[in-house]
Amino acid sequence: MKGADVDIVGVSKFFGSFQALKNVSLSISKGEFFSLLGPSGCGKTTVLRLIGGFEEPDSGTIAIEGKNVIGLPPDKRHCNTVFQSYALFPHLSVFENVAFPLRIRKIPQQLVREKVMRYLSLVQLEMHAAKKPSQLSGGQRQRVAIARALINEPSILLLDEPLSALDAKLRQHMLMELDAIHDKVGITFIYVTHDQQEALSVSDRIAVMNMGEVLQIGTPRQIYENPATEFVARFIGETNVFSLKILSIDGTKIYGEVDGLGPMFVDDETDAKPGETVLATIRPEKIRISADLPNTNGGRINVLHGIVAEPIYSGFQTKYVVQLDTGMMVTVYRQHANWSEGIPDIEWKDEVYLSFSASDMVIVEMHEQ
Amino acid sequence: MHALKKPKAIRIAILWRTRRMLRKGGAAARKFMPARSSLSNVIYWVVIGFLFLPLFVLVLYSFNSGRQATWQGFSFEWYQKLVMASPELWRAFLNSVIIAFGSAMMSTIIGTLAAVGTARYSFKLKSFVSTMSFVPMILPEIVVGVSLLIFFAGVGLKLGLATVWIAHTTFNLPFVYLLVSARLEESDPSIVEAARDLGANEMQILFRIILPMALPGILSAFLTAVTLSLEDFVITFFVTGPGGTTLPLYIYSMIRFGVSPVINALSAVMVAGTVLLIYPMRNFLKVFAAR
Amino acid sequence: MKKQVGLYYSLPQIMWLLVFFAAPLGIIIAYSFLKKGLYGGVEPQFSLEAYTAMANPNILIVTWRTLKMSVIATILTLLIALPCGYSIARSQNQAMRLFLVIVPFWTNFLVRIYAWIAILGNEGFLNDIIRALHLRSESVQFLYNQTAVILVLVYMYLPYAILPLFSTIDKFDFTLLDAARDLGASRFQSYVRILLPNIKSGLVTAGLFTFVPIFGAYAVPLLIGGKDSYMLGNIIADQLTKTRNWPLASSISMTVTILTTGLVFLIAMRKPREQKQVFDADPGLITPVASGGR
Ligand SMILES: Nc1ncnc2c1ncn2[C@@H]1O[C@H](COP(=O)(O)OP(=O)(O)OP(=O)(O)O)[C@@H](O)[C@H]1O
Ligand SMILES: [Mg+2]
Repeated sequence: MKGADVDIVGVSKFFGSFQALKNVSLSISKGEFFSLLGPSGCGKTTVLRLIGGFEEPDSGTIAIEGKNVIGLPPDKRHCNTVFQSYALFPHLSVFENVAFPLRIRKIPQQLVREKVMRYLSLVQLEMHAAKKPSQLSGGQRQRVAIARALINEPSILLLDEPLSALDAKLRQHMLMELDAIHDKVGITFIYVTHDQQEALSVSDRIAVMNMGEVLQIGTPRQIYENPATEFVARFIGETNVFSLKILSIDGTKIYGEVDGLGPMFVDDETDAKPGETVLATIRPEKIRISADLPNTNGGRINVLHGIVAEPIYSGFQTKYVVQLDTGMMVTVYRQHANWSEGIPDIEWKDEVYLSFSASDMVIVEMHEQ
Repeated sequence: MHALKKPKAIRIAILWRTRRMLRKGGAAARKFMPARSSLSNVIYWVVIGFLFLPLFVLVLYSFNSGRQATWQGFSFEWYQKLVMASPELWRAFLNSVIIAFGSAMMSTIIGTLAAVGTARYSFKLKSFVSTMSFVPMILPEIVVGVSLLIFFAGVGLKLGLATVWIAHTTFNLPFVYLLVSARLEESDPSIVEAARDLGANEMQILFRIILPMALPGILSAFLTAVTLSLEDFVITFFVTGPGGTTLPLYIYSMIRFGVSPVINALSAVMVAGTVLLIYPMRNFLKVFAAR
Repeated sequence: MKKQVGLYYSLPQIMWLLVFFAAPLGIIIAYSFLKKGLYGGVEPQFSLEAYTAMANPNILIVTWRTLKMSVIATILTLLIALPCGYSIARSQNQAMRLFLVIVPFWTNFLVRIYAWIAILGNEGFLNDIIRALHLRSESVQFLYNQTAVILVLVYMYLPYAILPLFSTIDKFDFTLLDAARDLGASRFQSYVRILLPNIKSGLVTAGLFTFVPIFGAYAVPLLIGGKDSYMLGNIIADQLTKTRNWPLASSISMTVTILTTGLVFLIAMRKPREQKQVFDADPGLITPVASGGR
């Protein structure tokens, strides 16, 4: 089995007068595990439905394997979908659900049996072939949906939030299984989710969407470490944003000033000119929190001073919300590693210093209001 | 461009649809995915045309001057006659109203009691009661009418308004029972247990908890009974006697024995009445239809 | 003691139905086994005459015709009602579309029959148009034949089928159709293999709601039909009021009753699980006028 590549160029989609997609372009390669990530209502399902052939774009082109597929009905496209609600046929048994595509193609019974059982075993459901979908657990239903979508040997599998109906634990488990199935079948997976953890942990690449637009496409690491816009930075994990007035730029070495906090060093590329204001972000886990003033050795380290407004203990780490002298809140994560024993605990209302390296800071585009 | 080719009605429907979508925003519009098959929409509008054609013809002819069916000019003549010169018609109308409310009242009381009894308690004859309440509904009306006629003749009851009332109460009962039972079944049994826990006795539970909770069901049962009764022709036809002419029977005699165009005017008024009656309820129709 | 409370509540209804439903039914059962009286009524003498009289070719023909016409009308009704119910269920404006179906449906039964006479009659709307267009000089006889009766029966009972179909289809998850398309089914295949099996209960309800009243139809064949379109309901009435053969009227009534209730119970019993659904699909709008054939 082999995957196919998908090229979406400049696609827009209207529902009535509401524009659900604005000039979306994506290029997904063969065999890739590609995720569409974004908040509810941003148009992820719509993109999937366009690829699947359930909707037609109002402008732009969609090509699969280089061939334009606009106008081609869903049953003529080499992709299959795992629906958000699974869409299992309630009147058919698990076996018949998975066999459905084969029955449509009038495959002889003998082959049907063999192939269905093979795919059911791929998702470990051989034992449940005779059951009706209503007799299955959520995770099992989801696996039936996957087996059913795979049995036609599509070159692209479209998955629309397939895990959203499952509880957290099962979600973790199914995610790993999905990843394993992807490795096994080797076809292109296009995976829709609004859960950034899911997207980060399994995807080869991610497209982050908001309000019908694609904001950034990149590997999980790129997206996380180098978010392009404020929205991406805030949507993927947590972040702290400073609005920085640039005083001087030397290559990627930026020196600026944050209102009320004083000077700040940032190492990143920017098109901005001195005198302009940009957004500089720093992830909470990249900030060191300490009771004493840290020694910066004259390096490009920023140091801020504040009071712990809220320590939130969560087992493997503690999250501190620190109120700076200007009133701004900064979030910091502190891991509970062995070596942290002996270091005095930081508690509510303690005075603390926050320090972070200029190289960990990222300049992002301002989010249009 | 595309929309222009469609019949006007569809264009209007699309207009409505978009307006509603704008008003309600994306999420709400989402649930109502448009029918992709335009064929089913075309069939729908053709059927609506078919369903309305007779009503349209009636209204048209009701404004026709002259006795002939052929169009001879506009006039209000038949409406005047309807109001001024048809005492028997008004008598029949009054009978219909009396019977409708009388039988709806009786069947609602009896049927609601039985529904409460079977929904709330279990007793030996319970399944007998529910089965028996269901059978009259599936019998063809003609059989109900004929058997009642023979029965009334057998026990020597004089045919008239009273026998019509009995007959209507009888055919209304199953519907009342069904609608109220459905409503009672929907309600949470733990509410009654809670009331009992709080010290209410049987009577208090009935009047303060069960009946108020079932009120929407009881009301819709009552209205259903009223409409059923106003509509009925066949059963009434068999069990009626002197003084027991209802509106449908009067219309029947007009059709059979010399059609006067007054009937057009009457029909048009009844169509208008129906529209006026249901139009305000249109938003409940779905809830109603989907129960 | 407590056990009987429910019975007390139900007692008025039990009594009422025993007296005014069961007893009359019992009487016609009894009458069907008695000898016909000279001037109506019966002689208290056991006889199977009423049943042997049913073997009369005239009655057999009418029975066959009734069955045939009811089946044709029911199938036509379902075929038309199915896409309508689907279209309403998928519409953005369900309330409006339902309203349009319900207006004619709540218009008085006889008014609607009369309207068809006004359309199809010799001096009616259709002939008016034909004359106006100079297609023909004399009027065409549209009324008083089986086709007219079937047309009007379909008209009368169409909403009975549309409404339960709508309420069943409305509960159907349309993504299943997308899923079927996705898995390779054509649009037609997706309807036949996925939609139809999942709305079976609605189809059964719609079928019953149309078949049962049409099978016992009386007013439509009486007013729209001619001698060749008389149905069992008309025969019963004639035996009762004209020929005054009460035992025969009773035995035919019994036959109609057994056939229709038998059908209903057969369908309800065959799949006990579906029995409840048959009633679930019963929309409140149906019940207002669903008390059998006119
Ligand atoms: N058929 C439709 N008619 C009207 N509006 C629609 C339709 N389908 C989608 N929309 C609108 O388009 C927007 C994007 O919808 P989409 O289903 O793609 O969102 P999503 O990102 O998948 O959201 P979720 O995470 O909640 O599933 C939403 O605002 C939605 O209301
Ligand atoms: Mg979605």
